[in-house]
Amino acid sequence: MSRSPLSWILFLISALVGFALFFIPAFIIRPFRYQNPLALTWAMALRVRAPWGTLLCFVVCVALALLLWRSATKWGKTLVTLAMFLVTGAAVMSRLNYFEWMFHPVDTPRFDAESDSKLDKNEMILAVRIGQEARAYPISQMAYHHVLNDVVSGVPIAVTY
Amino acid sequence: MLHFYLAGINNQNFLMRDKETGTWWQQITGKAIYGPMRGSVLELEPSDELSFGEWKQEVTDGKVLAQVPKYVKEYDSNWEPDVAKLPVVVSFPGTELKSRDVVVGLVINGSSRAYPWESIVKQTPVMDRVGGTPLLVAVGPDNKSFRVFISRVDGKDTEFFLKGDEPSASKNEPKSSSPWTLVDSGTASEWNFQGCAVAGPSQGKCLERVPALKDYWFDWRNYHPETTIYKH
Repeated sequence: MSRSPLSWILFLISALVGFALFFIPAFIIRPFRYQNPLALTWAMALRVRAPWGTLLCFVVCVALALLLWRSATKWGKTLVTLAMFLVTGAAVMSRLNYFEWMFHPVDTPRFDAESDSKLDKNEMILAVRIGQEARAYPISQMAYHHVLNDVVSGVPIAVTY
Repeated sequence: MLHFYLAGINNQNFLMRDKETGTWWQQITGKAIYGPMRGSVLELEPSDELSFGEWKQEVTDGKVLAQVPKYVKEYDSNWEPDVAKLPVVVSFPGTELKSRDVVVGLVINGSSRAYPWESIVKQTPVMDRVGGTPLLVAVGPDNKSFRVFISRVDGKDTEFFLKGDEPSASKNEPKSSSPWTLVDSGTASEWNFQGCAVAGPSQGKCLERVPALKDYWFDWRNYHPETTIYKH
């Protein structure tokens, strides 16, 4: 490790920054936790920058890891492997929307005619009427998907629950 | 035209982003809180929270969002009681309601008010006044659907009663025999749950609607710090 301390420091900082770019927003914006307004702003700012930020960190880490690997001790190699694992994970996760893993979106909404729908009469729905078009969005479905993009009588709407 | 997707959670009210600009939007307010469109507000499209049975009676050729087969097991018809058991992260101790109490919230002329769901189900139709405007809060014939109207007919403040419940009604007449109908004090016309007069001198007229949101007390209070609570 002593041969190239600067490379090691740069490597570890890049790995740490890359991981933080994913981890800090994920940690702040987590369910069942209080979100403080300032922390939330930071979380959104980092999350927006994370896709290219983590990629940059990843590239720097790969370059330095190649440089450092040969002369690294066994502990050094373990450290490099662990850091690469974290920075790669951060770069991948910053490109994925894990909220949509919990609550899958409806890509192309399909509709049943009111007379064909098997929905029970006691089921609650969100009702929208624009022009001549009337739509019902069952709450049991919206409470899972949460967001639905639709166009009713030419008006684009986002249905939320 | 923007396309929205679920992007996170802010004190149990979700955040969405749009694919086109990446801006972050708050669900309850429709406000852009971070990103290129920050400060913009989505226009609220009026909607109703109704039972499917009520809606079916009101519309013709309506379309119902179909279930996505692979997610059917995730759908929960018991959503409200299930969510009511979950913890909350913001609370307002000292207010008269509990965090998970369900309210109908509305804003009119800059004044906001929350109507505890249990109160309006018991007292429907509720006559009230918010920010100087006379309101009619009605729970439908199914005891589940609700709507809020400005209770003015031809510019005159008007009171509404359930038919069979009005002061002039004979006490011997059983209330439940007639289908759900409101009667106004001014013209004694009969009004349906859509707020339109179907019989009497006002026939053909409709009341103006007021957007209202069914929400948990903690969430409504969080975004409407000045809200008052309806008391009978």
